[in-house]
Parts: sequence; structure tokens; C-alpha cells
Amino acid sequence: MNKKTNNNQLLMTLLKGRTFIVLILLVIFFSVVKDNFLAPSTLTMVAKHVALYGILALGMTFVIITGGIDLSVGSVVGLVGMLAGGMIQEGLTLKFAGVTLYFSVPMIVIFMLVVGCLIGAANGLIITKLNVAPFIATLGTMYICRGFANLRSNGATFSDIAGYEGLGNTGFKALGSNFASIPAGVYVFAILAVIAAVLLKKLPFGWYVLAVGGNEKSARLSGIKADKIKILVYMISGFCAAWVGMINTAQLSAAHPASGDGWEMNAIAATVLGGTSMSGGSGTVLGTVVGAFVIGVINDGMTMCGVSEFWQKVIRGVVIILAVVIDQTQRNLQAKMALQARNENK
Amino acid sequence: MKVKKMLACAVTAAMAVSALSAPVMAEEAELLPGGGSNIIYCITPSPSNPYFKTVQDIATAKGEELGYEVKCQSHDDDAAKQLEMFEAAIADGAAAIICDNAGADASIEAVQKAYDAGIPTFLVDREINESGLAVAQLVADNAQGAAAIAEAWVEAMNYEGQYAELLGLESDTNCQVRSDNFHSVIDEYPDLEMVAQQSANWDQTEAYEKTEAILQSNPEITGIICGNDTMACGAVQACIDADREDIKIIGVDGSDEANAYIKSGNMVGTALQQIALITEMAVEQADAYLNGTAPEQEKQLIPCVAVTADNTDNLSGFVYTEEGAADDTAAEEEVTDEAAAEEEAADDAAAEETETEETEAE
Repeated sequence: MNKKTNNNQLLMTLLKGRTFIVLILLVIFFSVVKDNFLAPSTLTMVAKHVALYGILALGMTFVIITGGIDLSVGSVVGLVGMLAGGMIQEGLTLKFAGVTLYFSVPMIVIFMLVVGCLIGAANGLIITKLNVAPFIATLGTMYICRGFANLRSNGATFSDIAGYEGLGNTGFKALGSNFASIPAGVYVFAILAVIAAVLLKKLPFGWYVLAVGGNEKSARLSGIKADKIKILVYMISGFCAAWVGMINTAQLSAAHPASGDGWEMNAIAATVLGGTSMSGGSGTVLGTVVGAFVIGVINDGMTMCGVSEFWQKVIRGVVIILAVVIDQTQRNLQAKMALQARNENK
Repeated sequence: MKVKKMLACAVTAAMAVSALSAPVMAEEAELLPGGGSNIIYCITPSPSNPYFKTVQDIATAKGEELGYEVKCQSHDDDAAKQLEMFEAAIADGAAAIICDNAGADASIEAVQKAYDAGIPTFLVDREINESGLAVAQLVADNAQGAAAIAEAWVEAMNYEGQYAELLGLESDTNCQVRSDNFHSVIDEYPDLEMVAQQSANWDQTEAYEKTEAILQSNPEITGIICGNDTMACGAVQACIDADREDIKIIGVDGSDEANAYIKSGNMVGTALQQIALITEMAVEQADAYLNGTAPEQEKQLIPCVAVTADNTDNLSGFVYTEEGAADDTAAEEEVTDEAAAEEEAADDAAAEETETEETEAE
């Protein structure tokens, strides 16, 4: 082992943990600038904000690993919020039977998750069975979902979503409130992150996802049902988006048809920051979680310091590009080291 | 019934305004003939905002009442899309276009196209930086409204304390006008200190998150001023969640959501832009114009109403009803008074506006 390899190895370790290092540097920076940044209440707040696009990013990680993209998640957030708000406020009217049904909150949550999965399944079917590029297919469903979100109330907002005692559908607000001074959304994020990590790392499904993203042809040849895997990852993404739609609505106790607009970009940014390759085949759940926190800390830290929204945008953009540049450097270095190792062995 | 009465009030108001400004028959300027059909196009930003939905609903109701077919379109604040819609309206032979435009400069081209095609355009809510193209520009007096509600807020704050401001989209003229006029009132009081100012892009979720962050960094604030009601509602929810219901919050718009918070005491007030009245006036003027009577003034400022706990019951669906409008005569008198006041306010504001325009030109 010569000195150069040692240097390279040190560099590799640094590069691999880059997002985490960036996160720590950011936290140190903001805690110096703003003395109460490390207060528990601030950290819970950051986690609460991170949870929203963090959950979206979990689903997005699976999709991007297969080499796809899901642009519809932001609209699904809006649509699910509107459907949930509508079900609580107005119930579900069955025109043919002439009755209005009111459901309990757990039922509504299950319905919404099913809606999310169904939209995901539709995405997956359009992509695999009709052979439409993921970007286009999900762009289409993005518009469709946003349209339906507006149609649900003809553009109006459902406000004060508390439910009615008499109808037994109170309690939706719980998704937006705190338990043991930690917001419900953070619990959901944590649980979903653990499930996602197990799914991706420990179960065969995860290997199939990585294989389909790495080289679809050979994955198919080795007997993996690539289409089925692809449909499932979009369902996961829709499932995650449904959670975000409900949490966001519960937090605001209002459902607005335009909410979630552009959130798919935050989710993609968090995923890419976390080291998932846009060309598919590699990525980790932990990386995505750290990536989401980087974006969250930047957002809230800069807001607390009073940095203008315009600069926040600029800085967010620079961070994303830097992350990808470093990602490329790491890949090149990895290839170089592998070559070196082979030469030394000879 | 109530709606009908409101319509009646607004009609009288519009008539009173036009009576005061003495309609001028087109002698020197040739009136635009319209596109030949009986269709009024109503082009606005997305009706997912209840404010713009009101524009479309009122325009449809009023237009149909006057015997027109009304087609509503949404340009989503995209000037290119707006231009396409104007072109479609021209191709469709529209009689007139009612438009809540997508930007003071970016919309000139579209209005010019309609003008060239002989179709009169009536702008509501927001103006464009060019006169002589649109037949009328009916705008809510944002400056006066923001100042009026700021007065109420300053009093609620008891003239002292630290506060935060949530701005709208900073590239939007209304954002600057509202903020400037909040401060023209608030900055008179040295004991009121602004400790945070953030843009929340007119958005509820963003306002909610920014307010939470501001409450972390500046827990000592006792007031928040917001550029619109959507953001104010987000701020209210964040304050409720943080057990800070003592914080005094104001917005601008006059939405029903904000009004509910004013009733429950979570908001001090809002400045109602009388968009329902403005839209009705626009349709009235379009009808009058097509029948040969042009409005005397192109730019018309309609004053805002400060809505607080005192008069919150008078507001519903962007329509403000005066108390005691029990019988029609009383209503008429009041409306006439109001119209007179409007004229006066419009004159004041017109002077103010020229100033603003000059500064903008610089």
C-alpha cells in the first residue's frame, strides 16, 4: 500500500459520508449564528418540516433506484388532502343510492392510503404496460390529480377540519398534533423510514429493485419480474404521498387544492442529495433521510436567521448541484481505485 | 334573497358611480365594436383561490343576468397562457373580455391584441402599466386597505411590541404596495419593532412553516402582519399549535377562512378587497359600453373595507353588507353615500397612484 492509495481511501471515506458531514457542518454553523438552534423545540420543528418532504423522498428513492421518476407526488398530496377534507366535512355521497356516508378517521386514513396506492399503480401500469417514459407518464398523472383536487370542491378550501362529534369522525387533527411533544408526522416519517430501509436492504424485494435499476435486461433474464417491481415502487411512492397529504391537511386543519405544488422537486432533491443515482441502480434510505434533513436545516436555519427567500432558493440550488458533482467525483475515484487495486494484484 | 339584494345594491352603487362621473358618449374616440358574438370571456388566475373563484362566479351570474354567455378561463398567472386565451377569445368573436391579469407588464401584449381586434377589455383587481388599451381598469385600493387594517392592528397591539411580517411573492406589485402601506402606519410608532420579515409566497403551508421558525428564533413577538389571508391562516394555525394565541395577526383579502378566525378571536382583522363589487361593476360597464356608453375614467380605485371583530358579521363570500340595510331605500341611500366616499377616496388614491407609478418608472 503506498501513500497515494491511503490518501485515496481517506478521500473515499470522506466522500461517502459527505451528506452527513454537510449536515453536521450546517448544524454547527446555524447553532453558532442562532444560539437557540439546538434547543429541543427548534429541532422538533425542523424534524416536523423535514417529515413532509422526507416521506415523499422515501417513496421517490425506490422509484429513482429503478431508474424512473415520479412527478405526480406533489399533486397526490393535494388530491389526498382534498379527498380527506371532503370526506370529513361532507361525507361520501352515493348518488345512485341517494345516501351520504360518513366514515371514522381510521377508515378515512385507510381509504386515502388506498387512493395513493391506486394512483401509483396507475403510474406503474402506464409506464410498464403502455411503454410510456416515467417522466411523461407521471407528468400526466400530475396534471390529472391536480385537476381532480380542484374539482373536488370546485376550487374552494375545506377549512376547520375537525369532524363532527355526532357523526363520530373527529380526531383527524391527531395526525397534525404532538405526542410526547413530538409531532405525529415525525413518528410516521421514522416508522416509514425504518420499513423502507428493511425493505431495501434486508428483503429480496430490495435486491430486485436495485437489480432492475442497475441493468433491467439482465434482471429480466435472471427471472426478476421487472414490470411487477416497477409497478410496486410507484405504489410505494403513492402510498408515501398519501401520508404527506393527510399530515399536511391535519397540520393546517385546512385542505387547499393547490397544496403540495412543486413538492416533488423537494423530494427529488432530498433523494439526490442522499446519494441516489438518477440513472438508477444505487441508493440508500439512510442517505435520503440525511438528504432531507440537509434541505430542512437549510430552509429553517436561513428563515430563523432572516435570510431572504431569494437567497434561500439560490443556496438550495447550489447545494444540489454540488452534491451531484461530488457524487460524480466519488464514482470516478471508485473506478480509479478499482483499477489501481487490479494493477497491484497483477 | 340576500344575494339578490346585494346585486341590487351593487347595481345602484355602479350606477351612482357612473352618474357621478357623468357618462360620456363616444364622440372623439370611436368605441370598440366587440367581436360580434354575445360571449363575455372572463379570464382570471386559478379559481383554486376562492378570491378568483368569486370573480368568475360573479361575472357569470351578472353576465347571464344581462343576457350574455359567459366563458370562464384560468391563466394560472402565466402571461403566455393568458395571451393564448386572449387569442382564443378573439377567434371566438368575444363581445368583451373581463380579465384579472397575469402581470402589469406581461399582460400589455394580450390586451393590445384584443384592442387591435376591436374587442373591449375590462381589467379587474390588478392593473397594467399602460393606459388607453383597456376600456376600464377597476382596482381595489390596496394601499388604503393595508393602511386601514394596519391602524386596527396597531391599536390591538397597544402601540408597542415586537412583530414579524410575512410577505407575498416579492415580484408581485401588490406585495410591495401592501407591505409599504402597513409600514407607513406602523413605523409611526417607535415602540413597534419588526424583528423578522420573510416571504411565504402567498402560500398557507409555507406561512405555517415560516411562522413556526420565526416563533423559534423570536419567541418574544406579539404580532404578525401578513400580505394576504391565506398566509394569515397558516400563521394562525402555527400560533395555535405553539399555544401562542395571544399573537395579533392581520391579513388582506377578506376570505371566509380569515373571517372565521376573526370571529373566533384568532385574527385581529383583514382588509376586504370588494372583488364581488368590482367584478359586478366591470360587467355593468362592459354592458353599458357595448350599448354605446364608455366609462369616463379608465382607472377606477375601489376602496377596501377593514374587517375586524366589530363588523365581521357583515362579510360573507367577499361580499360586504352594510348593517341596517333592512329595506331597499335605506340600502340605496347608504350605497350612494358609500359611492360618494368611493369617489373621494378614488381621487386621493389616484394622486397616490401617480406617485407610485413615477417611482416604479424610476
